[in-house]
Amino acid sequence: MNDIITELIDLEATPPDDLEMRTLVSAGAADRAARTDSPIGPVWVSWSPRGITALSPLFESATFEEFAGFHRRGVYESSTLPSDLTDAVESGLFEGQTVGLPIDWRGLSSYQQGVLAVCATIPAGTVRPYGWIAEQINNPGSVRAVGTALGHNPIPLLVPCHRVVRSDGSVGQYAFGAEIKRDLLVREGALLA
Amino acid sequence: MPRPPDIFDIVCNRSGRRGVLMGMGSQPPSDEAIKRAIRRDLDLGFTELVRALQPGIYAGSLRLLRNRDDAADVAQEAFLRAYRALESYDDERIDALRLRPWLWTIAINLCRSTAKGRKPQTPLEDRHHVGTEDDHDYGDWNRRLEALTAPQRTAVVLRHVADLPIAEIADITGRAEGTVKADISRGLARLRRTLEAEALT
Repeated sequence: MNDIITELIDLEATPPDDLEMRTLVSAGAADRAARTDSPIGPVWVSWSPRGITALSPLFESATFEEFAGFHRRGVYESSTLPSDLTDAVESGLFEGQTVGLPIDWRGLSSYQQGVLAVCATIPAGTVRPYGWIAEQINNPGSVRAVGTALGHNPIPLLVPCHRVVRSDGSVGQYAFGAEIKRDLLVREGALLA
Repeated sequence: MPRPPDIFDIVCNRSGRRGVLMGMGSQPPSDEAIKRAIRRDLDLGFTELVRALQPGIYAGSLRLLRNRDDAADVAQEAFLRAYRALESYDDERIDALRLRPWLWTIAINLCRSTAKGRKPQTPLEDRHHVGTEDDHDYGDWNRRLEALTAPQRTAVVLRHVADLPIAEIADITGRAEGTVKADISRGLARLRRTLEAEALT
Protein backbone atom coordinates (compact mmCIF):
# COMPACT_ATOMS: atom_id res chain seq x y z
CA MET A 1 0.00 0.00 0.00
CA ASN A 2 2.95 2.29 0.65
CA ASP A 3 3.42 3.23 -2.98
CA ILE A 4 -0.19 4.37 -3.23
CA ILE A 5 0.08 6.42 -0.07
CA THR A 6 3.32 8.02 -1.22
CA GLU A 7 1.77 8.96 -4.55
CA LEU A 8 -1.30 10.35 -2.85
CA ILE A 9 0.80 12.48 -0.48
CA ASP A 10 3.19 13.67 -3.16
CA LEU A 11 0.45 14.74 -5.52
CA GLU A 12 1.07 18.37 -6.28
CA ALA A 13 -1.49 20.56 -4.53
CA THR A 14 0.02 24.00 -4.05
CA PRO A 15 -2.53 26.54 -2.86
CA PRO A 16 -3.19 29.60 -5.06
CA ASP A 17 -0.55 32.32 -4.54
CA ASP A 18 -2.97 34.79 -3.03
CA LEU A 19 -4.83 32.41 -0.69
CA GLU A 20 -2.74 33.29 2.37
CA MET A 21 -3.12 37.02 1.75
CA ARG A 22 -6.87 36.76 1.10
CA THR A 23 -7.32 34.77 4.30
CA LEU A 24 -5.29 37.12 6.52
CA VAL A 25 -6.84 40.25 5.02
CA SER A 26 -10.45 39.05 5.14
CA ALA A 27 -10.02 37.86 8.74
CA GLY A 28 -8.62 41.27 9.64
CA ALA A 29 -5.31 39.76 10.80
CA ALA A 30 -3.34 41.78 8.25
CA ASP A 31 -4.01 45.12 6.54
CA ARG A 32 -3.77 46.36 3.01
CA ALA A 33 -2.24 49.70 2.12
CA ALA A 34 -2.38 51.96 -0.93
CA ARG A 35 -0.88 55.30 -1.95
CA THR A 36 -3.18 58.26 -2.30
CA ASP A 37 -2.87 62.04 -2.55
CA SER A 38 -3.40 64.40 0.36
CA PRO A 39 -2.99 68.13 1.14
CA ILE A 40 0.53 67.36 2.45
CA GLY A 41 1.51 65.29 -0.58
CA PRO A 42 1.20 61.55 -1.31
CA VAL A 43 0.50 59.31 1.69
CA TRP A 44 0.16 55.60 2.50
CA VAL A 45 -3.28 54.71 3.88
CA SER A 46 -3.79 51.24 5.37
CA TRP A 47 -7.05 49.57 6.29
CA SER A 48 -8.64 46.37 7.59
CA PRO A 49 -12.24 45.16 7.16
CA ARG A 50 -13.00 47.22 10.31
CA GLY A 51 -11.69 50.54 9.08
CA ILE A 52 -8.61 52.70 8.53
CA THR A 53 -5.55 51.60 10.50
CA ALA A 54 -2.80 54.08 9.57
CA LEU A 55 -1.68 57.00 7.44
CA SER A 56 1.90 57.95 6.72
CA PRO A 57 3.21 60.57 4.29
CA LEU A 58 5.73 59.44 1.71
CA PHE A 59 8.18 62.05 3.02
CA GLU A 60 8.33 59.84 6.15
CA SER A 61 8.18 56.42 4.49
CA ALA A 62 9.07 56.72 0.83
CA THR A 63 8.60 53.06 -0.07
CA PHE A 64 5.96 50.52 0.87
CA GLU A 65 8.62 48.46 2.64
CA GLU A 66 9.50 51.43 4.85
CA PHE A 67 5.85 51.99 5.68
CA ALA A 68 5.34 48.28 6.40
CA GLY A 69 8.51 48.18 8.51
CA PHE A 70 7.06 50.33 11.25
CA HIS A 71 3.37 49.57 10.77
CA ARG A 72 2.03 47.87 13.89
CA ARG A 73 0.47 44.97 11.96
CA GLY A 74 1.20 42.83 8.91
CA VAL A 75 0.35 44.67 5.68
CA TYR A 76 0.12 43.94 1.95
CA GLU A 77 0.41 46.54 -0.79
CA SER A 78 -2.61 47.35 -2.91
CA SER A 79 -2.84 49.51 -6.03
CA THR A 80 -6.02 51.30 -4.91
CA LEU A 81 -8.13 52.00 -1.87
CA PRO A 82 -11.21 49.77 -1.55
CA SER A 83 -14.30 51.24 -3.23
CA ASP A 84 -16.18 51.67 0.06
CA LEU A 85 -13.37 53.84 1.47
CA THR A 86 -12.29 55.84 -1.60
CA ASP A 87 -14.81 58.69 -1.26
CA ALA A 88 -14.67 58.84 2.53
CA VAL A 89 -10.88 59.05 2.58
CA GLU A 90 -10.81 61.66 -0.18
CA SER A 91 -13.36 63.94 1.50
CA GLY A 92 -11.65 63.36 4.84
CA LEU A 93 -8.31 64.43 3.39
CA PHE A 94 -9.36 67.27 1.08
CA GLU A 95 -12.57 68.60 2.68
CA GLY A 96 -11.76 67.81 6.29
CA GLN A 97 -14.86 65.62 6.64
CA THR A 98 -13.27 63.28 9.13
CA VAL A 99 -16.09 62.86 11.67
CA GLY A 100 -17.61 59.40 11.37
CA LEU A 101 -14.82 57.84 9.30
CA PRO A 102 -14.51 54.10 10.02
CA ILE A 103 -11.37 53.64 12.15
CA ASP A 104 -9.88 50.34 13.33
CA TRP A 105 -8.38 51.13 16.75
CA ARG A 106 -7.05 47.63 17.51
CA GLY A 107 -3.44 47.53 18.68
CA LEU A 108 -3.55 50.91 20.44
CA SER A 109 -3.57 51.28 24.22
CA SER A 110 -6.98 52.03 25.68
CA TYR A 111 -5.71 55.45 26.79
CA GLN A 112 -4.48 56.38 23.32
CA GLN A 113 -7.67 55.02 21.82
CA GLY A 114 -9.74 57.19 24.19
CA VAL A 115 -7.78 60.34 23.33
CA LEU A 116 -7.91 59.71 19.57
CA ALA A 117 -11.60 58.79 19.58
CA VAL A 118 -12.40 62.17 21.21
CA CYS A 119 -10.08 63.91 18.76
CA ALA A 120 -11.94 62.23 15.88
CA THR A 121 -15.12 64.13 16.86
CA ILE A 122 -13.58 67.60 16.25
CA PRO A 123 -15.08 68.96 13.01
CA ALA A 124 -13.10 70.80 10.32
CA GLY A 125 -12.91 74.56 10.75
CA THR A 126 -12.67 74.31 14.53
CA VAL A 127 -9.88 73.76 17.06
CA ARG A 128 -9.86 72.50 20.67
CA PRO A 129 -7.22 72.88 23.39
CA TYR A 130 -5.35 69.85 24.75
CA GLY A 131 -7.12 70.43 28.09
CA TRP A 132 -10.52 69.92 26.42
CA ILE A 133 -9.57 66.38 25.40
CA ALA A 134 -8.24 65.70 28.92
CA GLU A 135 -11.65 66.75 30.30
CA GLN A 136 -13.57 64.68 27.74
CA ILE A 137 -11.74 61.51 28.80
CA ASN A 138 -12.45 62.36 32.47
CA ASN A 139 -8.79 62.89 33.21
CA PRO A 140 -8.40 66.69 33.37
CA GLY A 141 -4.88 66.49 34.83
CA SER A 142 -3.43 64.52 31.89
CA VAL A 143 -2.83 67.35 29.42
CA ARG A 144 0.78 66.27 28.82
CA ALA A 145 -0.22 62.63 28.28
CA VAL A 146 -2.87 63.82 25.82
CA GLY A 147 -0.13 65.61 23.89
CA THR A 148 1.96 62.42 23.82
CA ALA A 149 -0.97 60.28 22.67
CA LEU A 150 -1.77 62.75 19.89
CA GLY A 151 1.91 62.88 18.94
CA HIS A 152 1.79 59.12 18.31
CA ASN A 153 -1.46 59.26 16.34
CA PRO A 154 -1.08 56.50 13.69
CA ILE A 155 -3.74 58.10 11.46
CA PRO A 156 -2.83 61.81 11.21
CA LEU A 157 -5.05 64.04 9.01
CA LEU A 158 -7.95 61.53 9.17
CA VAL A 159 -7.92 61.49 12.98
CA PRO A 160 -7.44 65.26 13.06
CA CYS A 161 -4.86 65.79 15.80
CA HIS A 162 -3.87 68.99 13.94
CA ARG A 163 -7.13 70.50 15.30
CA VAL A 164 -5.85 70.29 18.87
CA VAL A 165 -3.95 73.45 19.85
CA ARG A 166 -2.50 75.15 22.92
CA SER A 167 -4.83 76.97 25.28
CA ASP A 168 -3.03 80.28 24.59
CA GLY A 169 -4.15 80.04 20.97
CA SER A 170 -0.76 79.09 19.47
CA VAL A 171 -0.88 76.01 17.24
CA GLY A 172 1.52 73.95 19.36
CA GLN A 173 3.53 70.93 18.21
CA TYR A 174 2.85 68.60 15.31
CA ALA A 175 4.51 65.40 14.20
CA PHE A 176 5.18 66.91 10.75
CA GLY A 177 6.12 70.36 12.11
CA ALA A 178 4.15 73.41 13.26
CA GLU A 179 4.26 74.91 9.76
CA ILE A 180 2.25 72.06 8.23
CA LYS A 181 -0.19 72.16 11.17
CA ARG A 182 -0.77 75.89 10.60
CA ASP A 183 -1.26 75.34 6.84
CA LEU A 184 -3.84 72.61 7.48
CA LEU A 185 -5.79 74.82 9.90
CA VAL A 186 -5.72 77.76 7.46
CA ARG A 187 -6.91 75.45 4.71
CA GLU A 188 -9.82 74.32 6.88
CA GLY A 189 -10.75 77.90 7.79
CA ALA A 190 -9.89 77.51 11.47
CA LEU A 191 -7.08 80.06 11.20
CA LEU A 192 -6.64 83.18 9.12
CA ALA A 193 -3.76 83.02 6.66
CA MET B 1 9.64 23.68 -1.82
CA PRO B 2 10.44 26.93 0.00
CA ARG B 3 7.75 29.56 -0.24
CA PRO B 4 8.76 32.47 -2.49
CA PRO B 5 9.52 35.66 -0.56
CA ASP B 6 6.73 38.19 -0.53
CA ILE B 7 6.03 41.56 1.04
CA PHE B 8 4.92 39.89 4.21
CA ASP B 9 8.31 38.28 4.71
CA ILE B 10 9.98 41.64 4.31
CA VAL B 11 7.59 43.08 6.87
CA CYS B 12 8.20 40.24 9.23
CA ASN B 13 11.95 40.33 8.90
CA ARG B 14 12.29 44.08 9.26
CA SER B 15 10.48 44.35 12.54
CA GLY B 16 12.08 42.63 15.51
CA ARG B 17 8.70 42.24 17.16
CA ARG B 18 7.60 40.01 14.32
CA GLY B 19 10.68 37.83 14.38
CA VAL B 20 8.55 34.95 15.62
CA LEU B 21 7.22 34.37 12.13
CA MET B 22 8.56 31.74 9.77
CA GLY B 23 11.20 32.86 7.35
CA MET B 24 12.24 31.02 4.22
CA GLY B 25 13.54 27.54 4.78
CA SER B 26 12.78 27.39 8.51
CA GLN B 27 10.97 24.49 10.14
CA PRO B 28 7.23 24.88 10.64
CA PRO B 29 6.51 26.00 14.21
CA SER B 30 5.04 23.52 16.68
CA ASP B 31 1.45 23.62 17.91
CA GLU B 32 2.66 24.97 21.23
CA ALA B 33 4.70 27.73 19.57
CA ILE B 34 1.73 28.78 17.45
CA LYS B 35 -0.59 28.83 20.46
CA ARG B 36 1.93 30.92 22.41
CA ALA B 37 2.11 33.34 19.49
CA ILE B 38 -1.70 33.54 19.32
CA ARG B 39 -1.92 34.30 23.03
CA ARG B 40 0.72 37.01 22.68
CA ASP B 41 -0.76 38.65 19.60
CA LEU B 42 -3.78 37.15 17.86
CA ASP B 43 -3.03 38.63 14.44
CA LEU B 44 0.61 37.58 14.29
CA GLY B 45 -0.14 34.20 15.85
CA PHE B 46 -2.96 33.64 13.40
CA THR B 47 -0.57 34.45 10.56
CA GLU B 48 1.68 31.64 11.78
CA LEU B 49 -1.30 29.32 12.05
CA VAL B 50 -2.32 30.04 8.44
CA ARG B 51 1.22 29.54 7.15
CA ALA B 52 1.67 26.29 9.05
CA LEU B 53 -1.68 24.61 8.37
CA GLN B 54 -3.46 26.19 5.41
CA PRO B 55 -1.43 24.46 2.65
CA GLY B 56 -2.31 21.07 4.20
CA ILE B 57 -5.98 21.96 4.61
CA TYR B 58 -6.04 23.08 0.98
CA ALA B 59 -4.32 19.92 -0.25
CA GLY B 60 -6.67 17.64 1.68
CA SER B 61 -9.78 19.60 0.68
CA LEU B 62 -8.66 19.47 -2.94
CA ARG B 63 -8.56 15.65 -2.84
CA LEU B 64 -11.95 15.54 -1.14
CA LEU B 65 -13.67 18.07 -3.42
CA ARG B 66 -11.59 17.60 -6.58
CA ASN B 67 -12.07 21.23 -7.56
CA ARG B 68 -9.44 23.93 -6.95
CA ASP B 69 -11.82 26.86 -6.43
CA ASP B 70 -13.93 24.89 -3.94
CA ALA B 71 -10.80 23.76 -2.09
CA ALA B 72 -9.51 27.36 -1.88
CA ASP B 73 -12.90 28.56 -0.62
CA VAL B 74 -12.95 25.87 2.06
CA ALA B 75 -9.35 26.59 3.09
CA GLN B 76 -10.11 30.32 3.40
CA GLU B 77 -13.46 29.95 5.18
CA ALA B 78 -12.12 27.39 7.67
CA PHE B 79 -9.46 29.85 8.83
CA LEU B 80 -11.91 32.77 8.96
CA ARG B 81 -14.08 30.73 11.30
CA ALA B 82 -11.04 29.78 13.34
CA TYR B 83 -10.04 33.45 13.64
CA ARG B 84 -13.51 34.48 14.85
CA ALA B 85 -13.45 31.66 17.40
CA LEU B 86 -9.95 32.59 18.61
CA GLU B 87 -11.07 36.20 19.12
CA SER B 88 -13.57 34.99 21.71
CA TYR B 89 -11.41 32.31 23.39
CA ASP B 90 -9.50 32.96 26.62
CA ASP B 91 -5.93 31.72 27.15
CA GLU B 92 -7.05 28.52 28.83
CA ARG B 93 -9.27 27.56 25.93
CA ILE B 94 -6.54 28.34 23.40
CA ASP B 95 -4.10 26.19 25.41
CA ALA B 96 -6.50 23.25 25.26
CA LEU B 97 -6.81 23.37 21.44
CA ARG B 98 -5.29 20.70 19.26
CA LEU B 99 -4.84 22.89 16.25
CA ARG B 100 -4.76 20.45 13.34
CA PRO B 101 -7.73 18.30 14.41
CA TRP B 102 -9.63 21.50 15.26
CA LEU B 103 -9.01 23.07 11.83
CA TRP B 104 -9.76 19.77 10.09
CA THR B 105 -13.08 19.45 11.94
CA ILE B 106 -14.09 22.86 10.60
CA ALA B 107 -12.75 22.07 7.11
CA ILE B 108 -14.41 18.65 6.86
CA ASN B 109 -17.79 20.18 7.72
CA LEU B 110 -17.25 22.84 5.06
CA CYS B 111 -16.22 20.16 2.53
CA ARG B 112 -19.40 18.24 3.29
CA SER B 113 -21.68 21.24 2.88
CA THR B 114 -19.82 22.30 -0.27
CA ALA B 115 -20.23 18.82 -1.79
CA LYS B 116 -23.89 18.74 -0.78
CA GLY B 117 -24.63 22.20 -2.17
CA ARG B 118 -22.96 21.41 -5.47
CA LYS B 119 -25.23 20.86 -8.41
CA PRO B 120 -24.98 17.26 -9.61
CA GLN B 121 -23.73 18.37 -13.00
CA THR B 122 -20.89 20.49 -11.57
CA PRO B 123 -17.91 19.20 -13.52
CA LEU B 124 -15.11 17.84 -11.39
CA GLU B 125 -11.75 18.86 -12.77
CA ASP B 126 -10.22 16.11 -14.86
CA ARG B 127 -7.02 15.48 -16.70
CA HIS B 128 -8.11 17.65 -19.60
CA HIS B 129 -8.38 20.71 -17.36
CA VAL B 130 -4.88 22.06 -17.96
CA GLY B 131 -2.16 20.35 -19.89
CA THR B 132 0.75 20.22 -17.45
CA GLU B 133 2.30 17.01 -16.15
CA ASP B 134 1.07 17.75 -12.62
CA ASP B 135 -2.45 18.26 -13.83
CA HIS B 136 -2.39 14.86 -15.55
CA ASP B 137 -1.53 13.21 -12.24
CA TYR B 138 -4.06 15.39 -10.50
CA GLY B 139 -6.84 14.42 -12.91
CA ASP B 140 -5.91 10.73 -12.65
CA TRP B 141 -6.08 10.87 -8.88
CA ASN B 142 -9.38 12.73 -8.95
CA ARG B 143 -10.82 9.87 -10.99
CA ARG B 144 -9.35 7.21 -8.68
CA LEU B 145 -10.62 8.97 -5.55
CA GLU B 146 -14.02 9.34 -7.17
CA ALA B 147 -14.38 5.55 -7.05
CA LEU B 148 -14.28 5.60 -3.22
CA THR B 149 -17.30 6.20 -0.99
CA ALA B 150 -17.34 9.61 0.70
CA PRO B 151 -16.44 8.19 4.16
CA GLN B 152 -13.59 6.16 2.63
CA ARG B 153 -12.25 9.21 0.82
CA THR B 154 -12.45 11.35 3.96
CA ALA B 155 -10.78 8.70 6.11
CA VAL B 156 -7.97 8.03 3.60
CA VAL B 157 -7.28 11.75 3.10
CA LEU B 158 -7.34 12.56 6.82
CA ARG B 159 -5.09 9.60 7.62
CA HIS B 160 -2.56 9.85 4.83
CA VAL B 161 -2.68 13.43 3.49
CA ALA B 162 -3.47 15.23 6.76
CA ASP B 163 -1.47 12.61 8.71
CA LEU B 164 -3.96 12.49 11.60
CA PRO B 165 -4.16 9.52 13.99
CA ILE B 166 -7.18 7.18 13.83
CA ALA B 167 -8.61 8.43 17.14
CA GLU B 168 -8.69 12.01 15.91
CA ILE B 169 -10.24 11.03 12.59
CA ALA B 170 -12.94 9.23 14.57
CA ASP B 171 -13.55 12.45 16.58
CA ILE B 172 -13.65 14.62 13.48
CA THR B 173 -15.95 12.37 11.45
CA GLY B 174 -18.09 11.17 14.36
CA ARG B 175 -17.46 7.51 13.43
CA ALA B 176 -16.14 4.66 15.56
CA GLU B 177 -12.38 3.97 15.37
CA GLY B 178 -13.01 0.49 14.01
CA THR B 179 -15.18 1.92 11.25
CA VAL B 180 -12.52 4.50 10.39
CA LYS B 181 -9.87 1.75 10.15
CA ALA B 182 -12.14 -0.28 7.89
CA ASP B 183 -12.85 2.79 5.71
CA ILE B 184 -9.14 3.40 5.31
CA SER B 185 -8.23 -0.18 4.41
CA ARG B 186 -11.17 -0.57 2.01
CA GLY B 187 -10.40 2.80 0.46
CA LEU B 188 -6.74 1.89 -0.07
CA ALA B 189 -7.71 -1.53 -1.43
CA ARG B 190 -10.01 0.14 -3.92
CA LEU B 191 -7.25 2.53 -4.99
CA ARG B 192 -4.89 -0.47 -5.36
CA ARG B 193 -7.36 -2.30 -7.62
CA THR B 194 -7.89 0.82 -9.72
CA LEU B 195 -4.14 1.27 -10.18
CA GLU B 196 -3.68 -2.41 -11.08
CA ALA B 197 -6.46 -2.17 -13.65
CA GLU B 198 -4.79 0.93 -15.10
CA ALA B 199 -1.47 -0.93 -15.35
CA LEU B 200 -3.10 -3.68 -17.39
CA THR B 201 -4.67 -1.37 -19.98
